[in-house]
Amino acid sequence: MSMMIWMGVMLVVSLAWIFWFLKKPLADSGVDLQQSNIELGKQRKLELQTDLEQELIDQEQFDQALEEISSTLALELNQASAKKLSKSNANIWIGIVAILLPIFTIGVYQNLSNYTPTSKVATINSTPLSLEESAAKLKQHLQENPKDVESWKMLGLSYFELNKIQESIKAYEQAYQIDPKDPRLLVEYASTMISANDDQFTGRPVELIKQALEIDPNAPDALYLAGMFAVSVQDFELAKALWSKALSALPEQSSDRQALVSILQELSRVESGNISNTVTVNVKISDAVLSARSPEDFLMIYAKAAQGRPMPIAIQKLPIKAFTGQVVLSDMNSVMSEKLLSQHDQALIVVRISTTGSAMKQPDDLQVVSEVVNIADNPSVTLNLN
Amino acid sequence: MLVELGHFALVLSLAFACLQVILPTIGLLRSNLALAQLSRPMLWAQFFWIFVAFVVLMNAFVADDFSVKYVASNSNTELPDMFKMSAVWGAHEGSLLLWALILSGWSVAVSVFSKRLPGEVLNHILIILGLISIGFLLFLLLTSNPFERLDIIPVQGRELNPLLQDFGLIIHPPMLYMGYVGMAIPFAFVLSSLIRGQLDSTWLRWSRPWTLVAWAFLTFGITLGSWWAYYELGWGGWWFWDPVENASFMPWLVATALVHSLSVSEKRGAFKHWTVLLAIAGFSLSLLGTFLVRSGILTSVHSFAADPARGAFILVFLILVIGSSLALYAWRASLMRSSNSFSWLSKESGLLINNILLVAAMLSVFLGTLYPLLLDSLGLGKISVGAPYFDAVFVPIMIPAILVMVIAPFLRWKKDTLVRSAKLLSPVWLGVGVLFIASLFIVENTYVALAVFLFIWIMLHSLALLFNRVRQNGQLGLAFIGMILAHVGIAIFLLGATVTTQLGIEKDIKMDVNQPITVKGYQFVFKGVDSFSHENYQGHKGRVEAYYDGDLIASLNPEKRQYVTGMPMTEAAIDPSLARDLYVALGESLGGGAWSLRIYYKPLIRWIWLGGLFISLGALLAAFDRRYRLSVRRSKVGS
Repeated sequence: MSMMIWMGVMLVVSLAWIFWFLKKPLADSGVDLQQSNIELGKQRKLELQTDLEQELIDQEQFDQALEEISSTLALELNQASAKKLSKSNANIWIGIVAILLPIFTIGVYQNLSNYTPTSKVATINSTPLSLEESAAKLKQHLQENPKDVESWKMLGLSYFELNKIQESIKAYEQAYQIDPKDPRLLVEYASTMISANDDQFTGRPVELIKQALEIDPNAPDALYLAGMFAVSVQDFELAKALWSKALSALPEQSSDRQALVSILQELSRVESGNISNTVTVNVKISDAVLSARSPEDFLMIYAKAAQGRPMPIAIQKLPIKAFTGQVVLSDMNSVMSEKLLSQHDQALIVVRISTTGSAMKQPDDLQVVSEVVNIADNPSVTLNLN
Repeated sequence: MLVELGHFALVLSLAFACLQVILPTIGLLRSNLALAQLSRPMLWAQFFWIFVAFVVLMNAFVADDFSVKYVASNSNTELPDMFKMSAVWGAHEGSLLLWALILSGWSVAVSVFSKRLPGEVLNHILIILGLISIGFLLFLLLTSNPFERLDIIPVQGRELNPLLQDFGLIIHPPMLYMGYVGMAIPFAFVLSSLIRGQLDSTWLRWSRPWTLVAWAFLTFGITLGSWWAYYELGWGGWWFWDPVENASFMPWLVATALVHSLSVSEKRGAFKHWTVLLAIAGFSLSLLGTFLVRSGILTSVHSFAADPARGAFILVFLILVIGSSLALYAWRASLMRSSNSFSWLSKESGLLINNILLVAAMLSVFLGTLYPLLLDSLGLGKISVGAPYFDAVFVPIMIPAILVMVIAPFLRWKKDTLVRSAKLLSPVWLGVGVLFIASLFIVENTYVALAVFLFIWIMLHSLALLFNRVRQNGQLGLAFIGMILAHVGIAIFLLGATVTTQLGIEKDIKMDVNQPITVKGYQFVFKGVDSFSHENYQGHKGRVEAYYDGDLIASLNPEKRQYVTGMPMTEAAIDPSLARDLYVALGESLGGGAWSLRIYYKPLIRWIWLGGLFISLGALLAAFDRRYRLSVRRSKVGS
């Protein structure tokens, strides 16, 4: 039922209530003011009598107080002049109320409310905006309110979700210029830059993570990213310490806890040489391709979900010259702590040669995608780049 | 859509409050039964729609509807459901909605339980209460709308102030508001009498139980606030003479005087001026207290000017309430001429002295609270008025009040003699003297000795009063038992407050792991600190073991929390008992496993709140005394 109908129902119920009591007025209590004062005067006299019996007052005081009670009562009876109410016809008031109540309530409501039947706000619960619409709305809002840091952050997140990484970075930079001390912003910004940089922890993102941890040493997101950085430089001890700290900082009910526990277990397995759920990727690059590309070009090997978002689940990126013919993808290469490789049933394996190393496929990139593989089988995949 | 309907329900409640005032007024002026009798149905409808609005707002909190600005500003998804619900009154807009709901709830209670009131009187009272409701609903709708939507909806809301994420704060504001708002009832009774020009026995009699119930709630609310401040703020205090506390204490002092003044007016027809003025002052101070706390004027006087609409509304509303009440009082002053004289030595004199002292005490608090704000707002500089001022001014006023408090019930109405009074009281005073001298052998502190003297003074007088009453007629009415309980509550509070302030021991120290420290015979051993996390905060939990005579008596786990917004909070660990509290709060990490800790020994601190509970209970018992069940013969006419 629409808003207007519900308001109508509320008004009709209210009017019916008023009309009912105008037609059938409530009975008066039947207590007469004079009678009430007389009864209270009588009670006072009784109390006075008790006081006398208990020797709380003497006879002289009793007589004086009795006189006062009598004179007070006489004064009150003189004052009391309750009007007799008559059962006059109240039909005219039914008409007046029937006209004025809706005018008053709707008029006041329309003046005070920011609700209009066609506004976005009123329909937000029934038809949520798409990500694109939300981003467009935010962009429009930010043109009028360029200092609204929360909206810049939301725009950055929206673009990230839409896989518009460069736009996302620009939005986060705007937010950063306004509030460089927000640890959550710093982490989100760093995370986006790392995504744009094919998960390489170099340069500014590392600085941003450091800044975030200086502001809040217990920020779980920043600790997680710092742990990822430690892994990228093969410092597993540091990674373990950072992730353990992140784990203790996460709420008990947090969904990220399980992922972090898994990644810590994986780290232990790596340290003990016992890795589970891996995808071994053999890549054969033809001579023709090798001669056409620079040894400095990047070879990006990653797993992505068989269905859903195209973002990598786990990735390794290295220059062609450093490639030995095989890489092993595991949870250690996972991009997001809450979406580890081993948490996926199936995946597609992608191998790409890229000049720029950008996450986004460029026109001159060479790419090959595998068939769907079952992660639990620890598959071995061979892909040819011809 | 539901939120918009909640907002519309609030508009409807305003419409019904207007109808509650306009139609019965016309009915009373034109002697039209149908219109005059509409006050109750209009009030019930007003209550219903405010209740609907309240439920809708609470639902928005529980459903994490961050499109509502008030919800987004005071709640987030990580907040436990219990605190999401209490977050409704966690800030200005919602607490005003609660104010309006409680006011209409009180009004409904008056309309339902005042069967002994003449219909005309009740209609007048409900019209006054309707006018107050209009003021608050307009304030809500025009300046403090809790249903305002946001154009840009945040993914996550802000944090409810961690200080408010506590059970004590779930019940403390509603209880305090019950007291604040309850003061509107005697105010409405008084105003309706002034308007009708009938300052008679009826309004005096039937406003008294409502005043007692409101006073009970106010006492309970303040007691809860003190208890919460003690365990939640982390430094073991129970009263800070903070302006927010003073804002609730001022109406309490006036309500205390009003309860006693009503007793004299009702029984002996005296003190009518006092009673009328105290009823007006009580409600005015309640309004002032609510607005001081909720307008932001107390945190910074400049926030008052920062929201001109809200500030202007507050001023206009206060001026209207106080100004119109005093104008009415001046107009009807001639009706209050009382010929009932009394001697300097009488029950009336005792109660009058106490009224004067209570009002003087209120004025001392009023001055200490508002003077710095006034200076600051006029740009005349900042001054700080704290405990030294209040201890120096307030306490000396209250000591004679306590002495007189228990003597007055022994005195006769109208006139007593020194000989009779001395004969009656000399055994009590002898007992007080003997016990006090005996106590001096164990009490060394002067202030504690004074508190012990006052404690013995109140207790022996109360016992003697009880003994006399039983000996004379054996009948103990609820009002009498209530009075004894309330006075004993004052004694308990007084001793607890003085002993804990004077003899409490506070140690702020650095402790290494396994390091022991002895405080008043209790050995505390610091066993280290663990990290932990919860739904919406993380933190450190200390482990401290307390031993007495080598036996482990308590394992204490003080917490240092960091909420998602970054706000730190200290949760003290307390081992409570009637004789003493052991209180441990975690400070900062000092490296190498060492931490700073605050270890307090608080003797008799529970007596402070026990005293408050006694006073509340006493007031409630007195409100249900047999004399308020007087049956008044009903006429057949008018129904």
